[in-house]
Amino acid sequence: MSDTLAPAERPQNGGVGGHPGASRPPKAASLWSDAWYDLRRRPLFVGSAVLIGVLVAMAVFPSLFTSVNPFDAATCDLAQARQGMSAAHRFGTDNLGCDVYSRVVYGARNSLVIGLSTTVVTALLGGLLGLLAGFRGGALDTLLSRITEIFFAIPSILGALLILAIFRTGNVWTVMLALAVLAWPLTYRIMRAAVITAKGQDYVLAARALGASAPRIMFRHILPNAVASVIVVATINLGTFIAAEAGLSFLGVGLRSPDISWGLMISDARERFLEAPWPLLFPALFLSLTVLAFIMLGDAVRDALDPKLR
Amino acid sequence: MRVTKGARLTAGAALLALALAACGNSASSGGGTASGDLPVRMELGEPQKLFHPGDTTESEGAEVLAAVFAPLVGYDENKQAVDEVAESIESKDNRVWTVSLKPGYTWHDGAKLTAQNYVDAWNYAANQDNAQSANGFFSRIDGWADLNPGEGKTVSTKEMKGLKVVDESTFRVTLSKPFSQFKTMLGYTAFYPLPKVAFGADGRITEEYARKPIGQGYFQFDKPFNKGTDQSIDLTRYDRFPGKKPKFTKLQFKLYTSSETAFNDLAAGNLDIHDSLPPSAIARAKSEFGERYLDQADAGVAYIGFPMQYNKTYANVKVREAISMAIDRETIADKVFSGTRAPADDFINPLLDGYRAGACAVCVYDPLKAGEQYTANNGPKTLELGYNSDGPHKEWIEAVANSLRANLGVEVKVKPFEKFAGILDELDEKTYGGMFRMGWAIDYPSAENYLTPLFSTIAIKTGSNYAGWSNQEFDALLAKGDSARTQEEGLKFYQQADDILIREMPYIPVYFYRTNGAFSQNVKGVKIDLLNQIKWTEVEKAG
Amino acid sequence: MSRYILRRLIQAIPVLLGATLLIYAIVFALPGDPIAALAGEKRMDPDIVDVLREQYHLNDPFLVQYWHYIVGLLGGDFGTTFAGVGVGDIMAGKFQVTINLAVTALVMEAVIGVGLGLYAALRHGGAGDSLILAATLVLISVPVLVTGFVLQLLLGVRLKQAGIDLFPVAGVSEGWRGYLLPGFVLAGTSIAYLTRLTRNSLVEIMRTDYIRTAVAKGLPRSRVVGRHALRNALIPLITYLGADLGALMGGAVITETIFNLPGIGQQLFSSVYLREQPVVVGIVTVLVLIYILANLVVDLLYAVLDPRIRYE
Repeated sequence: MSDTLAPAERPQNGGVGGHPGASRPPKAASLWSDAWYDLRRRPLFVGSAVLIGVLVAMAVFPSLFTSVNPFDAATCDLAQARQGMSAAHRFGTDNLGCDVYSRVVYGARNSLVIGLSTTVVTALLGGLLGLLAGFRGGALDTLLSRITEIFFAIPSILGALLILAIFRTGNVWTVMLALAVLAWPLTYRIMRAAVITAKGQDYVLAARALGASAPRIMFRHILPNAVASVIVVATINLGTFIAAEAGLSFLGVGLRSPDISWGLMISDARERFLEAPWPLLFPALFLSLTVLAFIMLGDAVRDALDPKLR
Repeated sequence: MRVTKGARLTAGAALLALALAACGNSASSGGGTASGDLPVRMELGEPQKLFHPGDTTESEGAEVLAAVFAPLVGYDENKQAVDEVAESIESKDNRVWTVSLKPGYTWHDGAKLTAQNYVDAWNYAANQDNAQSANGFFSRIDGWADLNPGEGKTVSTKEMKGLKVVDESTFRVTLSKPFSQFKTMLGYTAFYPLPKVAFGADGRITEEYARKPIGQGYFQFDKPFNKGTDQSIDLTRYDRFPGKKPKFTKLQFKLYTSSETAFNDLAAGNLDIHDSLPPSAIARAKSEFGERYLDQADAGVAYIGFPMQYNKTYANVKVREAISMAIDRETIADKVFSGTRAPADDFINPLLDGYRAGACAVCVYDPLKAGEQYTANNGPKTLELGYNSDGPHKEWIEAVANSLRANLGVEVKVKPFEKFAGILDELDEKTYGGMFRMGWAIDYPSAENYLTPLFSTIAIKTGSNYAGWSNQEFDALLAKGDSARTQEEGLKFYQQADDILIREMPYIPVYFYRTNGAFSQNVKGVKIDLLNQIKWTEVEKAG
Repeated sequence: MSRYILRRLIQAIPVLLGATLLIYAIVFALPGDPIAALAGEKRMDPDIVDVLREQYHLNDPFLVQYWHYIVGLLGGDFGTTFAGVGVGDIMAGKFQVTINLAVTALVMEAVIGVGLGLYAALRHGGAGDSLILAATLVLISVPVLVTGFVLQLLLGVRLKQAGIDLFPVAGVSEGWRGYLLPGFVLAGTSIAYLTRLTRNSLVEIMRTDYIRTAVAKGLPRSRVVGRHALRNALIPLITYLGADLGALMGGAVITETIFNLPGIGQQLFSSVYLREQPVVVGIVTVLVLIYILANLVVDLLYAVLDPRIRYE
């Protein structure tokens, strides 16, 4: 495991340690284009981009990575269940005798789609509402905050069953919905807290004094300074969403055989973990790599947005 | 019926059962007490309900009641019913049965056990107004229909006319039709008696009683059970019990929500007996417990069923046979269940008389023939396979799906249901067109119990005939078996009925259950009986 | 300030009513007959089902059922389960276990998460930072069931077999020691969140002018970090902790199962499963109340930690 992690970590070590030596853009541009200019020159960003590129390629063209098609049932041989790593099965076989490597490769698509879409939806929904509530305060804040309190307390199984009752089937999008409905309040609270803090900062007061419009203050001054903790939460959410997806499957809301995903693989391998750890460890490793890539990306974006580092 | 054990919820999945309780009353930590007072600690899942015989149809509650009540009949090593509380159970025509009781049995409160106690309990359980889950067990008794007039109608009597007290220790049961297996049936939980004190002023069983049932068996409750707070049920030997008594004085059922956890507790020395090891614990149990690991046959059977009643997809028996032959039962039992199941080759479990090894020829794995026969008979291109995900079924269902995909060249959709009732709902609404898993654990050890409740026409409405399969010849053979004068003669007819099942394959038998357990160094002589209950009279404390 | 608190508490009333109605409606709307769910794999006689439905008022229209419930609730009666046990009694026992577990987990995640985050921030970019990152990745990607059983086996069973009885395997009979392992397992993912939040907030704050000033003034490093940096990094952390409280209480199903702790998570899960409206609504109502209070405390702490934030 450490073997595989090392190359991915390297860019990060180098990236954070070395101060960005890139030259500045020729003339003053907007904050966001500044950030983008800066970003492209960061090893941290480049490393995460490469890693994400590989994962996305895996999701889009799995056949480039393996010649075995895990959707062909003939490739599973129950008699060969829980075999260790071998030439034929690089990552060993799972409880049903299927090849773990090809399933990890083919599972990338569902897992990434679920993880990313849910993360984006939660971050946008929770983030925007949190920004509004924190910035405006008053009645809007009261209303939104009370609503989140109800949502927080809805048991996840109840939310999932409700989604199932409405859609009567399970696929990537019902999973996304079920996870997002229950997860946005956390992002909301984090964003709201960050905005409340940022609102009192001198530069915001200065911008107000200068007569800047409310949207301008919100998006130009507060958001870039408040987004850091939301990025942290979003990147970790990404991992927990990918893993949590499997939990919905047993209720009928999630993916189901013959669909493949990392979450399902991890969940299916849990009970026999002591006998056969690899069917769990390999998808978990790829899940970790995905989270790692986005944590690096998040760090890079945050650094780029931070004017103090320029 | 006693399905809870088979359907034991796995930790990751749903958790129907719940254990409770802030108040620690585990005796295991008491270091100063003499070893003679330490209880034998037995693993138990959370009982679904409070305890009274007529409403306890799941394995965990039944296990507790079996320690507190003594049955009319028990079962010997040859699986024959032998009298326990009954002095004799006799009938000339299999229709009118006379039951007389042995003298000397008393309730835990000292009252004498009488024939009236049986009649009261059975009439109570059979009355639809009392909504007892064991109601159906009394449907063979004459007069049951009067107590069950149907939805919305009022019950005009409180007694079945087929039940008559002859004298203090004798009662007579008249059945509406002859039934040769009646005596065998009487070992089941539902047929325990109830004392007068169980009933309140309104004629209903009181909650007080259900929390601390007074029985006539060899153990009695120490205190009322607080469902929702207690993590153990503590029993003490009832020394006035006239029959064979256990050799130790205290029994403690410890409640667990996960059988893996219970196994870890056993390994750590906090538990003495665990009789439902999960497949994931088998390898460890064998190596760590050696002689103290139990592996024995269990009377349960698992099937894959077809929605025969309304769906024509599976109408061709050749298609059903092909599906059956495409399933590699041997490897599933070995790899998925680590040997805690055995491949099925009959509709009747090997533990019982009437089983014939290899009776089901199409239950043998033959991928080539399966593929050819399936194609030749135009089997459907897409199959659906449903299971309830609150039990340990996902893995074997997926394995079956893989077998079908590989050997029949079909697309198989696997459909998880939140719980088994979900499958039943869709079958009732005739909206589910797929195959479904199904399991059966016997209520009483008779080959007949694998046939009537699952496949008879009458069981479509009141029993567990979820396939909705109906066959007159089969029904007629059951009736002949029921009215046969001897057990052997009855068995012959039941086997002929079994032959029809094998010919028609309304369900596909997949595996037979096995019971796997382990016990600590504190005890010896642990044996599990036909109904999956520990024989407490055989258990001894070691050292 | 006290007017603000009072206002927030008054707001709790409509929220609680709304929550009970919403949850009651959801459970009502879910497909699946609660009585059929009771029967398990054996179908119940339809006549018996009808008697039971009548007994539990399941044939009444939704609003009538809800009205019965609210009337009972106002009289202090939480209703009964299908097994005939009072919901109030069940909740009292289970919330006790759950609160013990949740507080243990909360303390662990605060101590371990903030501790690791602090260390990572100070070793920012170094080997320790990377190591902690790798550890958080493991916490995110390995399911609770696995960490739970592995820790139970290693620290519960094996240690005891070796004669060291430190962590009870399961159950609540051993007092607070019984909550240590499950508390840690339950805190797992939250530790990952808090570690990253702490690390990133601190890294950012350490670059600010006032920290540079403090360092330039010659203050000892521990004082700079402890007094100046950490205090300002706390707002997102306490926000997370406040929001996490409910997840720890209502969502601890797997942890409670592995360690045989009879808590709210399992009860909620099985009651949703059995469609036991009174239990589900009762528990959720209490959880909403806990959330309201937790969020109120968190909001008040904002003002304590950052004097610029004020509530009128």
